[in-house]
Amino acid sequence: MLTERHLQIFVALADEQHFGDAARVIGITQPPLSQGLRRLEALVGAKLFERGPGRVQLTPAGAALLPYARRALGSLEEFHHAAGAQDPEGPELRLGLTPEVPPALGAAVAAALPSGRVTVVTAPTSQLLPQLTSTRLHLAVVLHPAVLDGLEAGPITLLPTEALVPTTLHPDDGVPLTLRELDGLPIAVRPRAEAPAARDLVLDTLDLHRPTGGTVVVTDERAALAMAAAGQAIVVTPDSSLHAAGLGRHPIVDDPLPVRLRLVWPAARTPSALLPDALHRIARALAEPSS
Amino acid sequence: MNAQLRGIFDDAGARGWLHATSLDRPDEAIALDADHVVPMASVYKLPLVIAFAELVDRGELDPREPITLRPEDRTPGPTGLSIFSDPVTMSLRDLAASTMTLSDNAAADALLEIVGLDRVADFLRRQGLADTRIRRGTAGNLRELVRRTRADDADAALAVLADNDTTDPSGVYEAANASATTARDMTTLLRALWSGELLSPDQTAFVQRLMSLQIFTQRIASAFPHDAVRVYGKTGTFGALRHEVGVVELPGGPTVAVAVFTRAARADRRLPRVDAAIGQATRYAVDRLR
Repeated sequence: MLTERHLQIFVALADEQHFGDAARVIGITQPPLSQGLRRLEALVGAKLFERGPGRVQLTPAGAALLPYARRALGSLEEFHHAAGAQDPEGPELRLGLTPEVPPALGAAVAAALPSGRVTVVTAPTSQLLPQLTSTRLHLAVVLHPAVLDGLEAGPITLLPTEALVPTTLHPDDGVPLTLRELDGLPIAVRPRAEAPAARDLVLDTLDLHRPTGGTVVVTDERAALAMAAAGQAIVVTPDSSLHAAGLGRHPIVDDPLPVRLRLVWPAARTPSALLPDALHRIARALAEPSS
Repeated sequence: MNAQLRGIFDDAGARGWLHATSLDRPDEAIALDADHVVPMASVYKLPLVIAFAELVDRGELDPREPITLRPEDRTPGPTGLSIFSDPVTMSLRDLAASTMTLSDNAAADALLEIVGLDRVADFLRRQGLADTRIRRGTAGNLRELVRRTRADDADAALAVLADNDTTDPSGVYEAANASATTARDMTTLLRALWSGELLSPDQTAFVQRLMSLQIFTQRIASAFPHDAVRVYGKTGTFGALRHEVGVVELPGGPTVAVAVFTRAARADRRLPRVDAAIGQATRYAVDRLR
């Protein structure tokens, strides 16, 4: 049976003239691409490409059929669009937020989504990324830097962070402190596995500026705040609303530990609701937290 | 099995592509997206030096022919002739030595000029390395990077790539814009070299010796803290890309050809965790092939 994937393989190979490049364009690996091509050629009953070393070229039969394949693919895309429009509630958009996104910012991003059904999930960056790759999520705000394989990404947003310091360690006078001065207690950090590259960047930055004081691993910001309230940890947070009794809020000199966020979405099969200007609007909501 | 390999790269904050195959038992291999086309960075210097050695075998180039490189004509870089201040005269085979062991950009571009992109392409075609394309040397790569980053010079352009707080300019890491290969193509090349059928015994030994003198040992070699294990390699580093392809020879066998390509999430110039992950992934593959 002729499938949409067969047509994608045919057109991509004709465009790229290279098995590896064509597979990358479709977002599959080379073995299924080769297999798909063999099936398609068996269906058609003719060879569509000459496989030379380093290059793939259309046969006369391939050249004759290519315009039909392009037209069929175009019609299928229109079908997907039209089918989405038939859904009375509009297509569902699934947004993921990494837990480091402050609640108000997450709300602003969700509010900037095109109107329609929206589902929001919160999960660590390392869990959101595979869900984007498999298109179970359409869009997510993740920690940067992260491995973005086969994903598109918007600009990097830097959220300044402040320190919540027990008043037993430092008076609640709001004066800016250097990281070096924040070595009286361990700094609360979330588990490394949640976002290895981003966490390592934070830990390496701490090692550079703050040789002593250490860190303590906490499951979430709630635990971090409780640890700090108990006089056991310092919290570094981008969330200006986070507060507890017995803690003072201090800017950190030179803002060495910004939370780096990035809007990411799958490179292929972007839902029609996420047209470029919608994405632009959402990225702006992320970039301008106050507006 | 691949979950373990993926886990090694995930933990280091990098994407990885790998192919490892036993040279004693060709049917046994470990692969992680081994057919994915990746920008190869300085790994291109391996096929370049092999293509040079083949031209020596054919009598088309004299390995002892001296060539003088003036500082203003030399490609910048962190090692070898690239860092010298004065004119240097050396033989073609010594250019090859500096290219392979130090990843000397200036020596490699001078050698590429002599070998020629067309002869390299012809070599790749004859070896059946259909997914490997060498588009330009290092000078060309740096020019392309300066253009894409809109920076004033190569140093400024590389600084843009090394910043965690800015977005990478589009296309900088696209295989389609750069010299590119697959992990499988590189182990195919190494298998051909080690078989002795690609080059004469003299030239085979010449290339293998240079690979064994590789000075960057923080990748594949880092996972084999045993003098009895011989490691041959050629690295590639460009921005977030860190690669090494090579051969690991265990006492009593097997001899394993391996190609590891990575792209780190972080932009920092030094990422020892990713270098080490290349070694760990190699070690994992080699142990599975024992």
